[in-house]
Amino acid sequence: MSSRHIQTLDWNTISVGDVLPALMIDMSATRIVAGAIASRDFMPVHHDRAYANEQGAPDIFMNILSDTGWCSRFLTDWAGPEAMVKRLAIRLGVPVFPGHVLTYNGSVTDVSRNGDDGLVEVEFSAVNELGEHVGGTATLSLPILSRRAPTV
Amino acid sequence: MTLDEQLAALVGKPLGAGGPSVAPDPVNQPMIRHWAAAFEDHNPVYVDPQYAADTRFGGIVAPPLMLQTWAMATPTITGIAERGGSPVERGGAFVLTVLDEAGLVGTLATNSEFEIERYLRLGEIVSAETVLESVSPEKQTRLGPGRFVTWVTNYTVGNGEVVGRQRFRILKFRPRGRRTDE
Repeated sequence: MSSRHIQTLDWNTISVGDVLPALMIDMSATRIVAGAIASRDFMPVHHDRAYANEQGAPDIFMNILSDTGWCSRFLTDWAGPEAMVKRLAIRLGVPVFPGHVLTYNGSVTDVSRNGDDGLVEVEFSAVNELGEHVGGTATLSLPILSRRAPTV
Repeated sequence: MTLDEQLAALVGKPLGAGGPSVAPDPVNQPMIRHWAAAFEDHNPVYVDPQYAADTRFGGIVAPPLMLQTWAMATPTITGIAERGGSPVERGGAFVLTVLDEAGLVGTLATNSEFEIERYLRLGEIVSAETVLESVSPEKQTRLGPGRFVTWVTNYTVGNGEVVGRQRFRILKFRPRGRRTDE
């Protein structure tokens, strides 16, 4: 498997208003359980439907550590392997139950430079059948590979 | 002591009694591979040593949002449901135990905010030190009456080098359809 064709975005090519490619994930029970266990979250509400029912939920639901994992993937699928997630802040809304399709969208809200660090602010959210599941903001560091074109 | 007084006494204090929690395992490739597979995150810097060597990271790094995962306690599966999902036994003065005993047995995470100083490399051992920041007054939520609990964690490696910080908020609530007099 060669992954060398994957490019990291050059900070100088990023502008406020740039839109990230949407990410759609079919959140099967398998994905919800796999994420919970990979993040070492053994809370039964994330894998045991009977237990989730007792807590008042109709089914198992995705854990917040998985949310941070999916958000990070959404960001670096766009920005590339050498992008660094410097900050990620999320708030959860409606839950994700098995069978939901979760769609991530985001856009660039700020571009700044801190020495050799090219910083990009992104605002994003993901919605499912019930409404907004997660919303948040992130700061990514991107390599500075060229000179920024002068703004007109 | 009223519940409010009990909770106020815990604010600003470490969340656990035993000092910082040290990751049971160093940052390692099997757990990274498991994580990358679960989220189908094909970023090669997590799993491809040759690729990673030529990047600014200089070698394999852990997915940044695994930070919380490294320091999580190894769960005792026996009795986990009876403990309300807590992976291990908790002390009596622990904020979540106090809220459980007050009937707020439901738990739902609502916010997570990370600052990442740098990515972790294989072999590093993460320590997490968590302080209770606040407990809200009881509020009506769509899940039932509850309180928001916020804590702040500093993640360090080696001789106290801070690699990240996290603010985490959960709602502890009284589930609907559950008797409140039990």
